[in-house]
Amino acid sequence: MVVNSINFWLFFAIVLIPYFLFFKRKEGQNLWLLAASYIFYGWADWKILPLLVAVTGVFYALGLAIERHNHSRPRLASQLTTVGVVLGIGILFYFKYFGFFVEEMSALFAAFGLPHCSRTLNIVMPIGISFFTFKLMGYVIEVHRESIRPTRDVVEFATFIAFFPTILSGPIDRASTFLPQLGQRRRFSESDFTEGLKRVLWGMFLKMCIADVISPWTDAVFGNYAHHNATTILVAAVLYLLQLYTDFCGFSEMAIGVAQVMGLRVAENFNRPFMAKNVAEYWRRWHISLTTWITDYVFMPLNVGLRHWGKWGLYVATLVNLVVIGIWHGANWTYFWFGVYHGLLLVATTALDKPRKRFEKRHRLKDNELYAWSRRLLTFTLFAFGSVLFRSASVHDFLGTLSRIPHGFGPLYSEEFSTIVVYALPSIAILFLREWSAEYRRNVHFLHARRTWVRLFSIALLICYILYCGQLEGQSFIYFQF
Amino acid sequence: MERKEIINQLNGIFADVLDLDEVNLTGATTADDIEEWDSLSHIQLIVAVEDAFDIKFSSLEIMKWANVGQMVDSIERLTSQA
Repeated sequence: MVVNSINFWLFFAIVLIPYFLFFKRKEGQNLWLLAASYIFYGWADWKILPLLVAVTGVFYALGLAIERHNHSRPRLASQLTTVGVVLGIGILFYFKYFGFFVEEMSALFAAFGLPHCSRTLNIVMPIGISFFTFKLMGYVIEVHRESIRPTRDVVEFATFIAFFPTILSGPIDRASTFLPQLGQRRRFSESDFTEGLKRVLWGMFLKMCIADVISPWTDAVFGNYAHHNATTILVAAVLYLLQLYTDFCGFSEMAIGVAQVMGLRVAENFNRPFMAKNVAEYWRRWHISLTTWITDYVFMPLNVGLRHWGKWGLYVATLVNLVVIGIWHGANWTYFWFGVYHGLLLVATTALDKPRKRFEKRHRLKDNELYAWSRRLLTFTLFAFGSVLFRSASVHDFLGTLSRIPHGFGPLYSEEFSTIVVYALPSIAILFLREWSAEYRRNVHFLHARRTWVRLFSIALLICYILYCGQLEGQSFIYFQF
Repeated sequence: MERKEIINQLNGIFADVLDLDEVNLTGATTADDIEEWDSLSHIQLIVAVEDAFDIKFSSLEIMKWANVGQMVDSIERLTSQA
């Protein structure tokens, strides 16, 4: 059930009205929210619901046990935390990577002429598993680090894990910010209601007017790369990065907006990544809830552990960090190399940081707009290149796609490209106008205009625009597969 | 070692590592208060502090620090054990 569908809004209305109207205490609201979340998740994947309930119970108990022993028996508390992390990774590994691992091992054994199993395992990956397991693991680590106290209310904890707007595709919330909100009654607020709906509307615009309009064309190019020239491949790389951003940011905006309507703030996921001037800054602005999670629980412990290696410790931790981000997306060598590619870019960015600052000081480039935009363009290009690797079905396909570039430029693949020119390009222009204005703190975002009539008119205009230019047959989101 | 003495010494270490003329730390200071204190310099600070006081922090206690005061607690504990 996708957010931009009639079914979802019927479901949401049924949840929302009693949530504010009948439940006057937080306990009732949380229980109602939990029931709705389990129904929502069961609707998507009912076979996995018992697993979700069981692991929620286990991690709830682990949280309490870790806190009990944190001071009296610190070793036991560490072991219990390890149990939680191993369990979380184990579930992820089984559903997400085990089939791939067995296939790769069989291929390796076959290459050496050793006996091997040629049967393919058909393990179906449950939707949202990468998101809720990360919430669970983050919770026990935070309890162990004493950054939070575990909740004693099992319903509150289960609601945090299964919260329906975010369970399928994030943002990955933290217990430290989400649980305290469940600890008090939510009252209907007109501003949360309208601001939340505006974010949903903006998310719909991104998804339906950009991502879904572009996707048939990029699918046609990457699915049939052998028949395309350099011009088409390069344009497809740029468009695919835009598609990826608007698809996932669109989903995140809708999830954040739906939560806000219910009086709950969830983590932000994007912060105008195309305005980033280098790769490090881009990663701080892209899929923020995942990158901060991995920074806190993978990068920092590794960096601290390797601190006596000096710069090299930092470089190793950076590379591992990005490889983990890469393979988090799935069991495919393309994601591994995507992580290596970005890890190396990030290491280079860190290593060149001081010389760059010296260069900028010497040439007084700090406030030079032309210089800033060249850096943005370079960063965008590096990410567009990486997105081809991300999009390719295999490393073989990626190399095949790249091999088309030396064949030379030529006419652009024009089948359905007129749809993009007519419908997507104006929408992309609106997106960039909004991002640019927000970056430079100029409020030309009409949805938030001071005058009421401008606001209402803009909202009406955006709805009409989505209805007229948008792809209304709700398509699935790219990040659902992760 | 007195807390005040530790903080004084930390002021010097922070100024040196972060390349600042002067640093005035308090127990409540966090990385948000000093622009130059990022994840890279954080690690450099830890190594410099360990070298200066001739101590070794555990990874878990480093992760638990929420401000300079908690770092001082660790230094105080470790130097008193030495």
